[in-house]
Amino acid sequence: MNKVIISAKKVERIYSNGIVRTYALKDVSVDIQQGEFVAIMGPSGSGKSTLLHQLGLLDNPTNGSILIDGEDVVQLSDDTRTRFRLEKLGYVFQSYNLIPELTALENVYITPMARGMPEEEYTAKAKEMLTKVGLGDRMDHYPSELSGGQQQRVSIARALVNKPKILFADEPTANLDSDSSADTIRLFRQLNKEIGQTIVMVTHEENEGKQADRIIWIKDGIIDKAKK
Amino acid sequence: MNKNDLKVISFLAYKNISKSKATFFVIVAVMAMSFLSITFFAAIIDGLGYEFEEGMIRGLTGHLMIEPSADSRYLENADSMVGKIKKIPEVVGVSKRVEASAVATHKTIQLGVPIFFVNPDDERQVSRFSESVVLGDYLSRKDNAELIIGTDLVEAYTREDDAKKSLDVTVGDTIQLSFSNGMVKEYKIKGIFKTGSQFSDNNILINYDDYEDIFHESDVASAILVALPSRGREEEFTRKIIDLGVTDQINPWQSKMGKVKQFIGSLQITNTITGVVGLFTAFATIYIIIFINVTNKRKQIGILKAVGIKKEIILGSYVLQSLIYGVAGVVIGIIAMQGLIALLTVYPLSMPIGNVVPILTTNRLVTTAITLILASIVAGFFPSKKAANDNILEAIFGG
Repeated sequence: MNKVIISAKKVERIYSNGIVRTYALKDVSVDIQQGEFVAIMGPSGSGKSTLLHQLGLLDNPTNGSILIDGEDVVQLSDDTRTRFRLEKLGYVFQSYNLIPELTALENVYITPMARGMPEEEYTAKAKEMLTKVGLGDRMDHYPSELSGGQQQRVSIARALVNKPKILFADEPTANLDSDSSADTIRLFRQLNKEIGQTIVMVTHEENEGKQADRIIWIKDGIIDKAKK
Repeated sequence: MNKNDLKVISFLAYKNISKSKATFFVIVAVMAMSFLSITFFAAIIDGLGYEFEEGMIRGLTGHLMIEPSADSRYLENADSMVGKIKKIPEVVGVSKRVEASAVATHKTIQLGVPIFFVNPDDERQVSRFSESVVLGDYLSRKDNAELIIGTDLVEAYTREDDAKKSLDVTVGDTIQLSFSNGMVKEYKIKGIFKTGSQFSDNNILINYDDYEDIFHESDVASAILVALPSRGREEEFTRKIIDLGVTDQINPWQSKMGKVKQFIGSLQITNTITGVVGLFTAFATIYIIIFINVTNKRKQIGILKAVGIKKEIILGSYVLQSLIYGVAGVVIGIIAMQGLIALLTVYPLSMPIGNVVPILTTNRLVTTAITLILASIVAGFFPSKKAANDNILEAIFGG
């Protein structure tokens, strides 16, 4: 069995509004293996995206610990977390979240560029990644010139260009038509099988969840059940 | 921050600006207009002040005014002194004057008038009278019993609401002048002049030779006016004139300004106040525009942070953008201002005191430019710093 790449213990996320405290996550513990494709599922408002945001270092848990690749990421400074995200994590968001002022190619190479990679190298890597997701002929297009499915593929290419340890995807098919949705999940499955990419994906769709190795069910901020 | 960070900062700033050209042009236009609104009004006021001073210099004082010492009524050997000073290299002109007063009578109107007895040719180099004749002709050396008169003394040129008395005369009419020694003489009006300066346009100019005929004094002057190549060289030429052996008072024009100095001082205070208020207004306007622009980019800032771009890079790219807005706006503002000044140099603003050309001082240009650029940097810095420090999820998804 592969090693555990994410280990979350007793994670809580509490939102305070005055005296009202809302538990978005309550005592959630979860381990994810390297090379695993995990789906997090649950009803709306169950806390599945909140869990993904904690595991993906986009938010800070109120309590609990999270180890990623053996490192206690909750204790990291803001700057170190940023560096950690750049070097070890990749993200695919529901609404693509591309930078509208950058072309597809630039959206993909901005992170290797920020890592200090030479221009020839990051351009080549970004081109390779866009070609891999089927956008070899759309590299110089701006997000506004691409369809939703194409934008999502750019966002996947951006997420993968730095060869992240973990790819986090937050409802990546929510804004896509059924063909594009199927393409996206197929791409994830392929990446997982071919290069052993660890993927943590939040989804509403059970048939998408079934494509994963495992589904983590969340309900009312706690893990409901887990199954392969 | 390393070299690569600077590369990413420049790249993001360039992409943001080049992809949002409309925003860029609007912000730069506002910056340029702010620059213009601050500097143009101030330059007009400065031009107005300059013109007031110039009216005094080119009407009453010259750049240097040589006057008799306290115990003398006149400068003696005036012609010799004029001749010697004319020989000083770079001196533009030298003219002796005798100031007198008389009662002018025309039809039933009697009016006390100040008179300058002058050498018309010398006066051309020192004052504006020769180039300001609006009707008739300027005096010539040979004119006898002829004069030129300022518009403030002529009814046709005075304003209806002006309570001062004036003479209903025009070129070719005759007026009678009664001098302090009892001499009465009739003069034909050869020309009417309007310099635009109230200090000059209420005078009458008569040929110096007539002074000798009327008062039986020769080679004297109430004052000798010296015109220099430019302002600011008064001390240098005063020394040169003293070296000629002149022992009379040599006064620079600044010491003769009197109320004009107070007036210009008031103008400058007004200018400073409006300038400071203008700078604050421009600062606030630019801050708000750039603030809104950066605030609208909050989501992009959140995305960049989420994918691992350092806060310093994000902040740097927005500050650089703001700096580019500021510099571009100021450069265009300066170009537009120089264009306006060039235009108004050819076609000056016609004001009651004369033709006014705006003057943009280096000090004002630099102060305004630095303030506006600073405003744009500050306006870019704070909102982008706040957005870069925001919770990533709040920046991306709102909240």
